[in-house]
Amino acid sequence: MDSSRTRAAAAGMNQADEDLESLLAALHATLGDDDDTRLLAVEQQLRLIQFQAQSQSEALQAEVRELRAELEKLRWSTHDNENFGRDLENRLNILGHRVQASGDSLLGMTELIHRTVLDSRDDMAEALGPVMGEAIRVQVRDSRQEMVEALYPVIGESVQRSVVEAFRELQRNIDARLKAVIGPRSVWRTIGARLRGVSPAQLALRDALPFSVQNIFLIQHGSGLLLAQSQAGAQVVDSDLVSGMLTAIRDFVHDSFGQDQSDKELDEIQYGNQRVVVQSGQVVYLAVLIQGVEPEGFRTQLHGFVSDLHVRHARVLREYSGDPAALPDLQPKLDRLGADLADLATQKPMKLVGRRTMIGASLIGLLLIAVACFYLQFTFALLPVAFPGPTATATATAMPTTTPTIAATATAEPTATATPTSLPTATMTPTPTAVSGLPVTGLTSGNVWVRPQPDRNAPLIVVLLKDTPVKIVSVYGPWAELEWSGVQGLQRGWVPLPWVATLKSIPSDLVTPFPTPAP
Amino acid sequence: MIVIQKKVCLLGDFSVGKTSLVRRFIEGRFDDKYLSTIGVRISRKTLQRSNGTLNLLVWDLAGAQEFNTQASYLVGVAAALIVCDMTRRETLVSCAKYVQQVRAMNQSALLVFVGNKVDLVGESVSAEAELRACSETQGGDYVLTSAKTGVGVDLAFELLARKIEAPA
Repeated sequence: MDSSRTRAAAAGMNQADEDLESLLAALHATLGDDDDTRLLAVEQQLRLIQFQAQSQSEALQAEVRELRAELEKLRWSTHDNENFGRDLENRLNILGHRVQASGDSLLGMTELIHRTVLDSRDDMAEALGPVMGEAIRVQVRDSRQEMVEALYPVIGESVQRSVVEAFRELQRNIDARLKAVIGPRSVWRTIGARLRGVSPAQLALRDALPFSVQNIFLIQHGSGLLLAQSQAGAQVVDSDLVSGMLTAIRDFVHDSFGQDQSDKELDEIQYGNQRVVVQSGQVVYLAVLIQGVEPEGFRTQLHGFVSDLHVRHARVLREYSGDPAALPDLQPKLDRLGADLADLATQKPMKLVGRRTMIGASLIGLLLIAVACFYLQFTFALLPVAFPGPTATATATAMPTTTPTIAATATAEPTATATPTSLPTATMTPTPTAVSGLPVTGLTSGNVWVRPQPDRNAPLIVVLLKDTPVKIVSVYGPWAELEWSGVQGLQRGWVPLPWVATLKSIPSDLVTPFPTPAP
Repeated sequence: MIVIQKKVCLLGDFSVGKTSLVRRFIEGRFDDKYLSTIGVRISRKTLQRSNGTLNLLVWDLAGAQEFNTQASYLVGVAAALIVCDMTRRETLVSCAKYVQQVRAMNQSALLVFVGNKVDLVGESVSAEAELRACSETQGGDYVLTSAKTGVGVDLAFELLARKIEAPA
């Protein structure tokens, strides 16, 4: 359609050109020279217009051709698309069939796998183990946080349970130890703990985690050469290698983390329940392998040892290059340090102040006990006064009538003995001996002092309370020797005779003659 | 019986075969798997000598990429094996820097230069000549070794032990 139009337009244009040529020829023939010149100019302009029109026509034709070619392409493309769509549809149909077939077989495969897994769990685990491990490793590397969140419910609970169990074990240990020490020993332990400057609870904790020194290494700085070793615990695999590696680790840590802090050094390494405590010196350092909680003064002792070693042997230790002949004998010193540390763990030697406190406390305790005993004795002695017994009261009611009679009898005695006045040595006779008859029982008529001898100048022994039952063992002048049952058993002593009341008269054989001066 | 201990360090660029040399010398075996040493690995070799026992504490230092990073490991060094790879000339060039590092710690440290992997180079006269020149310049002996075949390994350490024993 477009091409026919284009051709018609081109034919039209050719016809117009021919008409124009003939018209110009006719004008040339009719016009003059002047007009001829103008005509030529017009002619040229016309030719120019004609040329432009022709050029435009050619351009239009070229454009038309291009459009036609593009149209042709589009037609082919549409055709191809139609074919492609049909092809796709066919393929989709085929795939649909295949998917259906695969679904059926997949169900069968799933069942087969499920059955295989159930039948041979071990084989499956063995086959999948490495893959699972690798998969987990990759997953941890790529998605650590997700893995942590996914595993936390399992691992977190397990860790928590483990920690709780460990704490329970520790608690049981402490409880058992506390129970074991309840009693007299617990008091002593409490006192000991206080004197050592720790609380009983801390002491119990230390007992629960007993301290022990396993190994002590004395190592040269830098070179890592082992100078001496004291061993109390398990055998170390290779002490030379241990000392070397310890040195390398210390250097590594220092180089890595302590560049700006030249005075800072690694001072402890922990492994399980064991720890390597490092006490550093300028030339050598101590590495002590311990277990449990170190006692107070542990570090001080290590520091003192290293300082002392530097003071005494700094030059030799610095110049040591592997030949032990150049070294002082360090082994005994290290062994002694080990023993001291062990002693420190078992019982810390008490300081002077503590010792004095302990002695003072002991003395005060003894004094208090003595005072308490005296007080008790006095209390027992005064008990009948405070709380008079019913028996004694009943007997006492009889006394008032008897006392005058007895007193009268007693006063009669001196007259009976008035005859032996000429005896100058009568003072020797106070010890009554003539006790042949039965003793006379009676009661004291008042609170009266008892003396060891029948003499007013004799010392006072004890007070006999009123109505105390007594036995009159002998009589000497105005004195009566009494026997009574006291706190310390049967006791004897002399009291003035008027203070003793009896129900019957005193037999004469109990009476010792009393010397009286001659008139 | 006198037991003398000496700290011996192995230095060299990475992958020249220091750990393999130590393994061959101490354990008598070779493993062609390459595992880069991190930090330091310490081993001990006890040698029975006529005048007593010599304990060589061998510090196998990690191959240095930057110098002076492991200076603290060299404190107290008595002798050093400077190891280079005979198949890589650049490792031989580095020897001078390792010597400088050792001398900074111990001016009188004893040195043995070891040209390792000699089994891979055949008759490389030029490499050996360079190693000899280096050892002569730096004041030490040189040994060509192969940790793989065991050639020269014992000799290198024996040479070092003799230098340690020799009176200063």
